[in-house]
Amino acid sequence: MATWVLKRVALSVGLLALSSVLIFCLMRVIPGDPTITKVAASGTSGGANARTLRAVRHELGLDRSTTHQYLAWVGGAVHGDFGKSYFSSFPVTTLISQRIGATLELSLLALVIGLLITFAAATLGAIWRNRVFDSLMAGFSAFGMSTPAFVSGIILIVIFGVKLKLLPTQGYVSIEHHPLQSLKMAILPAITLSIAIAAPLLRLLNASLTEVGSAPFVRTAAGKGLLRRQVVLRHQLPNAMLPTLTMIGVVVGSLLGGTVIVEYVFARPGLGTLMVDSIQTRDYAVLQALVLLAAAAFILTSLAVDLLYGVLDPRLRVRTAEAV
Amino acid sequence: MTSAVAAQAPASRRRPRGAETAARLLQRPQAALAFAVIVLLVFGAVAAPLVAPYPKNQFDFTHLFAAPSWHHLFGTDELGRDLLTRVLYGGRTSIEIAALATLLAMGGGTLWGFVAAYRGGWLEEILMRIADLTLGLPVILLGLVLVAAFGASTTSIVLILGILLMPATARLARAALVAELEMEYYLAAVSVGAPGWQIALKELLPNTTPVLLARASIVAADAIFVEASLSFVGLGIQPPAASWGTLLQRGYSQLYSSYWYPIFPGLVILIAVLSLNTLGDNLQRVLDPSRR
Repeated sequence: MATWVLKRVALSVGLLALSSVLIFCLMRVIPGDPTITKVAASGTSGGANARTLRAVRHELGLDRSTTHQYLAWVGGAVHGDFGKSYFSSFPVTTLISQRIGATLELSLLALVIGLLITFAAATLGAIWRNRVFDSLMAGFSAFGMSTPAFVSGIILIVIFGVKLKLLPTQGYVSIEHHPLQSLKMAILPAITLSIAIAAPLLRLLNASLTEVGSAPFVRTAAGKGLLRRQVVLRHQLPNAMLPTLTMIGVVVGSLLGGTVIVEYVFARPGLGTLMVDSIQTRDYAVLQALVLLAAAAFILTSLAVDLLYGVLDPRLRVRTAEAV
Repeated sequence: MTSAVAAQAPASRRRPRGAETAARLLQRPQAALAFAVIVLLVFGAVAAPLVAPYPKNQFDFTHLFAAPSWHHLFGTDELGRDLLTRVLYGGRTSIEIAALATLLAMGGGTLWGFVAAYRGGWLEEILMRIADLTLGLPVILLGLVLVAAFGASTTSIVLILGILLMPATARLARAALVAELEMEYYLAAVSVGAPGWQIALKELLPNTTPVLLARASIVAADAIFVEASLSFVGLGIQPPAASWGTLLQRGYSQLYSSYWYPIFPGLVILIAVLSLNTLGDNLQRVLDPSRR
């Protein structure tokens, strides 16, 4: 067991190192010179002569060899230092820490709402076994998986912001300063994101619940006189959970991708909008830090899910120990 | 014996099976509706010059941001252009990109998966590990980064979407072919000495086509979804070209004054993606009795 855990952790570290190389190389292929954008933005339009460009390039370390740049970047990243933004000359770490609050609040709230919808609906559906409710769930999944976040976001803004004027639709205030206002501003974006989270999860969980529902042990549980509710909660649901758990890992790992669009729709100053901005200003220092962060989030959650799997399902522990 | 087996599996017996699958698919009301919607959207885009109520780019400065009415069913935009007309023409861009990206993803993915399944061994292991690695990554995030790297021209967006949607197709194609390789007709074809490429093209490909078609429908849905997402944040199709996503982006800036402007392109995207997903899903169910 210990060797399996070690191997799995080593695999994750290797993947992270590999993705850092890939991300770094990808940033170097991006056409367009960040120093030109920077010099042009600093107001000396027309004065971007070779000397200023060279000076800026030296200041940003872009005149060193690629290997040197990579090692400097990774070396800094290990200590939480991602260098300075090419564009605003703030440290990247500062920019990220300013923006991460809006993203975390949105992601956590959306995840809680999404998981509540998924488990409440799937459990009730399995207990009631009602055709109408089942097709409602199927409809929700189909619509939820096909609705881009900007469409559902815009519809929610029109209904709750423009027509009913119930909720604020744009911006963000930090939760420490104005807890209530902050939640109010997060509720529509969180619902938007939670639809995208819940739709595929609900479909998967329903499918596994149906599959497990015909297993002999469920019949036995019902046969020994347990209530329908008990059969579902104690026997059917725990055994149907595993595939959904993997999917939850994937969802959590890719939350940063989902928040990009949602933050953009609701004008929240989070990591997603920071990323779009950094692409538009060719600010590679910020962009490569964000992409590395996204890759790390993805790799770490899949590691966590795999380890959790090993704990929850002993069969898997034995099998993967042989396989890895 | 060998000749008897070979004689029993002529192409003529397979063709009605395809027709039967199509008939069974369209008997499902959901699938028939989805198919009709897709045909309608494609027709609207292809025949835009004929069916659009106004000429392309006809400005009307007396009716800027007009609300939906009988004159302008979807309203008008910031230059007084009819939005229904713009949506029909925008469909040309969106559908063209989705179709090309789907072709690329299906072609590349099928080849990738087939080579893996057919060759097996270490090559299969490597090819499938690569597919697994990229599979769970957030497509929109990767799409944004790749657009930053390779630009937002139509060609590069087609390439980016095609490549991003390839690994999932490769996995499906491999699984489909592995199942076929266990069938008796394959053994029969091998034992009568048919060359490898002939078996692949004449026996294996036709038998995996329905599964791949179902996948293609879902890939097309994803392509429309992702292209619209990229265009929405301003990193997709660049003006003056317009896709459904760019229309939505333009409309989004007018959300608080004329909310119908973003709503109609948004609903069209939703309907297109939903129809393609529904069609693909129903086809999968028809093909796989255990999922019915």
